[in-house]
Amino acid sequence: MNTHTIDTNAPVISADAYDTTAFYADADAVPTVTNTTAPEAVALPSPGASTAQLLAAAQEAGRRAVPAPLAETALVARPLLRRAGLPVPDGPLSYAIAPELTIRYAHPAASPVGSAGCLGDDNTLLVTGTLRRVPWARAATAVVVLATAPFGPVLFTLTPDQAVLTPGANLAEEPRDDLHLATLEIPAFHVRRIAPELLDEARLRAALARSALIAGAAERCVDLTVAHTTARTQFGRPLSRFQAVKQEEARLIEEAALVRAVVQAAAVPLDIGGPAAHFAIAAAKTQASASAAEIARIAHQLHGAIGITRLNPLHLATTRLWSWRDEDGDEAYWAPRLAQPLTATTLWPALTTTP
Amino acid sequence: MSPSTLSPIAFPDVALPESARRLRTEVRAFLDEERARGTVLGRPDSWLAGWDPGFSRRLAERGWVGMALPTEYGGAGRGFLERCVVIEELLAAGAPVSAHWVSDRQAGPSILQHGTEEQRRFFLPRIAAGQCFFSIGMSEKNSGSDLASVATRAERTADGWWLTGTKMWTGGAHVNDYAIVLARTDDAEDKHAGLSQFVVDLRAPGVRVEPIRLMSGEHRFNAVHLDGVDVPDGMLLGERGGGWKQVTGELAFERSGPERYLSAFPLLVSLLRELERRSATAEQLTQVGILTARLHSIRRLSLGVAAALDAGASPDTHAALVKDLGTRLEVALVDTVRSILPTPADQYATPGSHPELLAFALLHSPGYTLRGGTNEILRGIITRGLEQH
Repeated sequence: MNTHTIDTNAPVISADAYDTTAFYADADAVPTVTNTTAPEAVALPSPGASTAQLLAAAQEAGRRAVPAPLAETALVARPLLRRAGLPVPDGPLSYAIAPELTIRYAHPAASPVGSAGCLGDDNTLLVTGTLRRVPWARAATAVVVLATAPFGPVLFTLTPDQAVLTPGANLAEEPRDDLHLATLEIPAFHVRRIAPELLDEARLRAALARSALIAGAAERCVDLTVAHTTARTQFGRPLSRFQAVKQEEARLIEEAALVRAVVQAAAVPLDIGGPAAHFAIAAAKTQASASAAEIARIAHQLHGAIGITRLNPLHLATTRLWSWRDEDGDEAYWAPRLAQPLTATTLWPALTTTP
Repeated sequence: MSPSTLSPIAFPDVALPESARRLRTEVRAFLDEERARGTVLGRPDSWLAGWDPGFSRRLAERGWVGMALPTEYGGAGRGFLERCVVIEELLAAGAPVSAHWVSDRQAGPSILQHGTEEQRRFFLPRIAAGQCFFSIGMSEKNSGSDLASVATRAERTADGWWLTGTKMWTGGAHVNDYAIVLARTDDAEDKHAGLSQFVVDLRAPGVRVEPIRLMSGEHRFNAVHLDGVDVPDGMLLGERGGGWKQVTGELAFERSGPERYLSAFPLLVSLLRELERRSATAEQLTQVGILTARLHSIRRLSLGVAAALDAGASPDTHAALVKDLGTRLEVALVDTVRSILPTPADQYATPGSHPELLAFALLHSPGYTLRGGTNEILRGIITRGLEQH
């Protein structure tokens, strides 16, 4: 018997002290929310959580297609704010890495050289440009922006209402909004000059957060596919009894295990930083992005017709896989950056650096 | 961490201890010495094709053969993770490890687990000393994936067993000392019952070893004809009728190790050496990066299985998963290396040159997804593991 239900019976992780309801975006603003049985709570990890715990939470958020920027907040925005020495606001946060913004100092120093605004009496900035496809911008209490000011890289925060917002969405209908900034003044207390390394770290954090989400969506594909091939009967037996189905299902499981393992393996390197973090995370996003196609392909093929409709939750996972593989750097972005430093003599040492 | 509580996609994450880091440094120093000696040549598939008993003995002198065996039997009493560190270093370097390979990976652990005290005292110290080399006597002409259908028979005699039959694809039987032979001792309705394992002296009267050439022309495989071989009582390994259980128990050791994803690795090293001579294009770097990411990911899974073995689990499903992923990567690596840097494969080019290594890896590549259980069978094990979960 094949029942067309949407409930996936996923156990709900109980929220700890953190109020997760406040964390969710406005349901009206997010079309997919109405297609899930209920936005399932995944507790936002406490500020003291380890990187491994943060990754596990992000993965769980990806598995449940949580309609909120949990990974973006916990793994990217919050740690970057702490590293830059800025206060961490409550609520959902987002980020944008935007070296292409035009930035001047709002209170120019009387300088004998250079154009107006290239030196400032304080860090108050005037920012012009567009932040493209910012995840969940409309729902964020603040957006962390990393950019290049005349005197080097800066990190600053803004609230979405300071910008003109053009709504957009990815294939999963997750908000990806453009924020237009027209000579927007960012007060000095929201600005920090940062080391270039923090800009690199931001890219790595974003890529790893996205990889963890992909690992979770991959796991959801496995859960749903196994449930379907066990329940669905054709020719008098469950699909899972057919050799051809088993062969494909095994490959799906393998690919999901692979992504999960490479994400897990990046937890320690992220904390260590340097070349170890670069290697582990470039590998994680390369693998996660590269595996998405095969995972989605097999999950859909084994689901048959129902999988390509909204009668079944599979699309919640596969549309996310197709978008997330492109976001924060696809495999064509990360793979050459992974390979660039490698030589015949350093390849094996790089593979065995950590642990 | 029993298989029933571990989801097939969840592997334990691994952090190697500080001792493993030191061990890796020691192995690298040893490999440098051996390179200077000319024994370590960075060749693919060196665990099948690199036979050098002298190298095996020098490795044993360092305590790196049978290193997971207890010290009272001459082993080093170290764990599977530490063994993993040693063998991944050896394979990545393309070191000639085939002489002691089966003794170290399978025969040692199997004799330790199922052998009598007498068998342990006799074989294990010799294995750990790199002075006793084993072959695997499982497959037959009509028993490949369907191993339980083996036709080799062991008949009871007054003081032992009389073995008749022919084992096929027996690697190294022409140079090794013993084979662990799976034979039928009793007829039973359930074909998995009535099988037993024997340690057979490959130089005993009645053993006839006939070469089977690989398609490359190399002599690695043999047909081992047992034309009536007297096997003493003391050479029955484990329980009479317990052969099937023992054989399947070996598979977690056999299927998940670094040899399941590193067989073609030296070819990737050779490619990087070639690319250093010109400047690599963005497309070449992308393909190298994609291969590297996959190698790294599979290695993490493989280390997860070693950690599970150290914890006393028998992660059969996980081992099957690693082998399918790893060996498919080995095959894909050869083809990808060819497309990254188009090179006509040439087995007569200078030994160690890129075209020669490519030819060698290519001619060996169809075997990667066959040996140790064909991948189609492994995928059945993976989905079965899921149903049990």
